Amino acid sequence: MTFLHPLALLGLAAAAIPALLHLFERRIPPEAEFPPLRYLSEAERQSARRLRLRHVLLLLLRTALIALIVLAAARPLVPTPVPMRRAAAHQRTALVVILDNSLSSGAVVDGRPVLDRLRAAARGSLAAAGASDRMWLVLADGVARAGTRDALLATLDSTGVSPRRLDLTAAVRDAVRLVNAEPLEEREVHVLSDLQRTALGPGRAGVTRGVRVLALAPASEVPANRGVGSLRVSDGAVAVSIVGTPGARPAAVTVQVRGREVGRGLAAPGSTVSIVLPPEGPGWWVGEAALDADELRADDRRVFAWRVAPPARVTASSGAGPFVAAALAVLEQGQRVRRGSDVGIGDRLDGGAAVSVVVPPADPTLIGQLNRALAARGARWRLGSGGTPGPIVASGVVAMNGIPVARRYRVDAIGDASRSKGEDSTVLATVNGEPWLVRDAGVLLVGSRLDTAWTALPAAPAFVPFVDALVNRLARGEAPVSEVEGAPGVEFRTRGGDTVGAMVSAPDPRESDLTPAPAALVRDVLGADVLDAPALGAARFAGGGKSEASGPLLILALLLAAAELGVATFTR
Amino acid sequence: MADTTRIDLLDPADVARLGGIEIVAAGVVEGFLAGIHRSPFRGFSVEFTEHRAYQPGDELRYLDWRILARADRLFVKQFEEETNLRAMILVDASRSMAWRGAPARLTKRAYADRLAAALALILLRQRDATGLITFDEAVREVVPPRVRAGQWARLVRGLERTPDGGGTAAEAALGQLTSLLVRRGLVVLVSDLLFDRELALTALRYLRHRGHHVIVLHLMDPAEAELSAAPEVRLRDPESAVSVVVRPRELARAYRDTVRREIAAWRITCRRHGIAYHHILTDLPFGMALRLLT
Repeated sequence: MTFLHPLALLGLAAAAIPALLHLFERRIPPEAEFPPLRYLSEAERQSARRLRLRHVLLLLLRTALIALIVLAAARPLVPTPVPMRRAAAHQRTALVVILDNSLSSGAVVDGRPVLDRLRAAARGSLAAAGASDRMWLVLADGVARAGTRDALLATLDSTGVSPRRLDLTAAVRDAVRLVNAEPLEEREVHVLSDLQRTALGPGRAGVTRGVRVLALAPASEVPANRGVGSLRVSDGAVAVSIVGTPGARPAAVTVQVRGREVGRGLAAPGSTVSIVLPPEGPGWWVGEAALDADELRADDRRVFAWRVAPPARVTASSGAGPFVAAALAVLEQGQRVRRGSDVGIGDRLDGGAAVSVVVPPADPTLIGQLNRALAARGARWRLGSGGTPGPIVASGVVAMNGIPVARRYRVDAIGDASRSKGEDSTVLATVNGEPWLVRDAGVLLVGSRLDTAWTALPAAPAFVPFVDALVNRLARGEAPVSEVEGAPGVEFRTRGGDTVGAMVSAPDPRESDLTPAPAALVRDVLGADVLDAPALGAARFAGGGKSEASGPLLILALLLAAAELGVATFTR
Repeated sequence: MADTTRIDLLDPADVARLGGIEIVAAGVVEGFLAGIHRSPFRGFSVEFTEHRAYQPGDELRYLDWRILARADRLFVKQFEEETNLRAMILVDASRSMAWRGAPARLTKRAYADRLAAALALILLRQRDATGLITFDEAVREVVPPRVRAGQWARLVRGLERTPDGGGTAAEAALGQLTSLLVRRGLVVLVSDLLFDRELALTALRYLRHRGHHVIVLHLMDPAEAELSAAPEVRLRDPESAVSVVVRPRELARAYRDTVRREIAAWRITCRRHGIAYHHILTDLPFGMALRLLT
């Protein structure tokens, strides 16, 4: 039994009042003379049993009366007998059907895709809905599609396996919000999913009272699965990490470039295998890693992209500081940079360089001169007053995230530069939400000197990779290879005639672990009753199988009150 | 109209405010006798008045043999007594008699005193020798029956001298009374009868057996007949330390039934032994109480 207002149950303590009054509130009665006491004693002796029975009866009736009123105030929900549920048409219901057609639903279990089983259950839910019900269909994209029963059934029939992952916790949370906004008598959310453990997002769905969440139980046996989780290219090799069901057997990994197998390895879920790539000439390259086929084919293949570029030719002035010079020496030794005039680094603009990386001059009196030079170059950023210390936030160079900055100049925008979305004016890193590293008009402007008195970056291991990215990638306006969720593929970003970035799409690696969440965890996180298909069919639109019992309780309380009145009146 | 001005028909408490026992009793008797022209008390004289059913203790010489022969039933003849009736009035002065259920009413003792005085005056006016005995757990006052002048005043003084008793064991006093009543006559017991019925009846049966004509006037305050008080009250017997906490509303019906059973038991038992029994509430006008005796 559940209660809509469980706090009201605290009032049950009041049920003890009659007994406590009986025990502790015995006042000293007034005393009076009464000569015919013998008659009284005789009457009392004859009535003792009746009076004792009366007192006990009244005590029980009054206690039960208070308890019933408190219980009614708590608005209990009691199970409704199944025959009664089926006998009557269900009440108007706000229904959200969540069909988890994510990548994992493409797994083949017992000879047929999981999605077929889920779709059949979803079809059952929608088919059982009535014309007065309000219903939505939520797929792996998280979009709630409102519509009539027939329209949603048509959508359902055309639904296939999506490469996207569905966060069930968020989906149920949104669905609960959706049904709660509808002023209908009943509210239900049907979760038709393989209930992967990894599909449960952080936190809880926060199912409110009055909303029933029913989840279809996963298949009894789920196959072990392996998938390509991620691919990282560095130093002429690709690191292939394998994901999937923990404990699954190792599988062969094959890497192909331009349709030609370039390497092969063996890896189990949780492990990473590194495969050397053949040396390629400058340019963007696309490869593919593939696993042997298993029950879930969609995660057995993943593509990757990388760029082979000639080292940047860099000149550093003395104003750049010793740390920059040391980092460039390391990069030169590793053949990542060469001496030249493509990129100039210093505390003033280098007129001969194609791209200038400018750090603030050590002498504050030179700031104005620098700003004028920036303006003359057409840059829409300038150095302003001193800014507050804080950590660096940079999406393009992840390694430098969180490194503290002690001193900095504010990098102020001139005009609408800060709102520019163009490729030539970009905020590459911020401190306290304010620009710290920006690129505009062939100039990269840094808010702090690259010195340990200004920032801890030069002393951090990320400094050399930062300088590498600065001169080889950021100075050229290139974006890093980004990843998006989707079917395996690659898209390139171009600026003018140059390719400046790549976007690799691949399924979420969490989809590869098909291990279902325990029913208790589903109940805890989603607030759902996990039912097999027949039970789900019986439970849907059953008003929770529960009905509010306040009315009957109040009627019972009235009957008890009448009984109490009768006993008190007629048993004197 | 004339009846409403008769003192004997007024509320006893109102009448009592007229004065002491003597004045009240005289007033009551004047009013009472205004409507009665013959002696209400019957003795064993020569002037036949009526028959009544034979009761154990009746003298066989007054049996009507002709009715016995004709109808095979026992009847005794009753005669108008003229002067030789000896009446003894027994007034219970125990502690329980000094109680009243409401300030506006007389205590049972006050009611008994006035009723006894009025009764004595009536008897004395008929030239019947009348005496008085007051008692609680012992005999307190004894005024032998006489018809001489000033007898009534002595009786009244006897009543007035008797304090409200503290005793409870009236049964013992009743035992003593039997030895004081040697010559047969009329015995009127005025009491609330709050003592053991069997023991009291033993004494009364003995008197009856000795040939006395016994009349029992059972006084009861109206508050004793119906239980009504605070929601919860501790009631204490004034004659003992016994007390009990009761909720009168719960016990009212059972108590009323008990009182009715007790009165019925007294009435039945007295009738069985040839004892006249009258139940009198203390708000009953004296004239009506006296009328019960006629």
